[in-house]
Amino acid sequence: MEAAAAPWWIWPLALFAVSFAIGIVAVLGGIGGGVLFVPIVGGFFPFHLDFVRGAGLVFALAGTLAAGPTLLRSRMASLRLVMPLALAGSVASFAGAVVGLSMSTEAVQTALGATVIVIAALIALSRDGYAGTAESDALGAALRMKGDYEDPAEGVRIDWRTHRTLAGFGAFGAIGFLGGLFGLGAGFANVPALNLLMAAPLKVAVGSSGLIISVINSSAAWVYIYRGALLPVLAVPSILGVMIGSRIGARLLAMTPATTVRRIVVAAMLLAGTRALLRGLGIWT
Amino acid sequence: MDVTEHDAKVQSIYARWLDVSTRLSFAASLAAFVLYLSGALPAYVALRDLPRYWGLPVGEFLRQTGAPSGWYWFTHMGSGAEYLNLGCMALLGIVTLVCYARIVPTLVALGERLQAVLATAQIAVLLVAASGFFAGG
Repeated sequence: MEAAAAPWWIWPLALFAVSFAIGIVAVLGGIGGGVLFVPIVGGFFPFHLDFVRGAGLVFALAGTLAAGPTLLRSRMASLRLVMPLALAGSVASFAGAVVGLSMSTEAVQTALGATVIVIAALIALSRDGYAGTAESDALGAALRMKGDYEDPAEGVRIDWRTHRTLAGFGAFGAIGFLGGLFGLGAGFANVPALNLLMAAPLKVAVGSSGLIISVINSSAAWVYIYRGALLPVLAVPSILGVMIGSRIGARLLAMTPATTVRRIVVAAMLLAGTRALLRGLGIWT
Repeated sequence: MDVTEHDAKVQSIYARWLDVSTRLSFAASLAAFVLYLSGALPAYVALRDLPRYWGLPVGEFLRQTGAPSGWYWFTHMGSGAEYLNLGCMALLGIVTLVCYARIVPTLVALGERLQAVLATAQIAVLLVAASGFFAGG
């Protein structure tokens, strides 16, 4: 169907449906939805990538803001861990958003496609998270990056502390830049950075990642709003779709095999990433 | 009070403010979107005309529609339903700033000076981002 020939309301409805499906798959796959949303909507919908990235940022922002209170109350998210890393990430994310809106569409599409394909490969190859404990380094000790939480699944209280703090700042700077550039939440990268690099327990890494996205994306979202790259007709159906889909995904989580879900996520990312890459290179426009 | 007790208190305050402000932002965005779709308020660019423009890069979109950018869209909130909608969605971008501003006095009172400095710096970054000073365009 030609985009110009279709009535306007088809597209917000289709966005709602796609965002709903992404919401389910993202929860089951343990990723933020933005990494699926931006390449899929950017590749297969008639909207310009500028507006898709703006909607993608708000899409990730809305989901993480909504989840934040529960994560904080259960202490799966640690504000003490989030605050310094999110500060580094939000400065970089702001810079990424400015750079992204200054680049040509083809360059952003190509870089987005290549990045999504690499992320899909990393997810496909990733193994179980780091489950050990670490001794704080000097910077981590100064920032008191430690805490504890009750794990209801294990029935134990877990004390944790992080290390490699300086490398963590560097990682969140790089992740924030990519997030702002492509309009992603970048949860796919936050969790390994917190868990594998800084040795935060996996559940604290997942919970804190959500809160970090809510801070980092707030910074980049303003650039898109200021530059006029946020269209409500894209953003609101997407937010509604992902919120409803995420709730259903959370209910399906216990009964869905993790391997199947991971394969679906990787396949969707490879397809969307390839589409973005080929579109950016002018091969499949 | 030890570090764990400080964290529990600060996280509890942050969570409460995050919860309320996010709910208010969602409710406002949804209400504004219904007004936008229903045509109860006039749109700056009519919905039926939007497909002609939404495939354009943002700079070209603004040029062809004459739509405002920067903070000028704020002055169109009363006359363009999409800008009322944008204003409500922008509330989502303020939520984090509000929560950080709320915990700064608590952090100072608890003697968590380094955390208070970090929170203040984050507020400054968000204010600079919102101001558009370095957003270009």
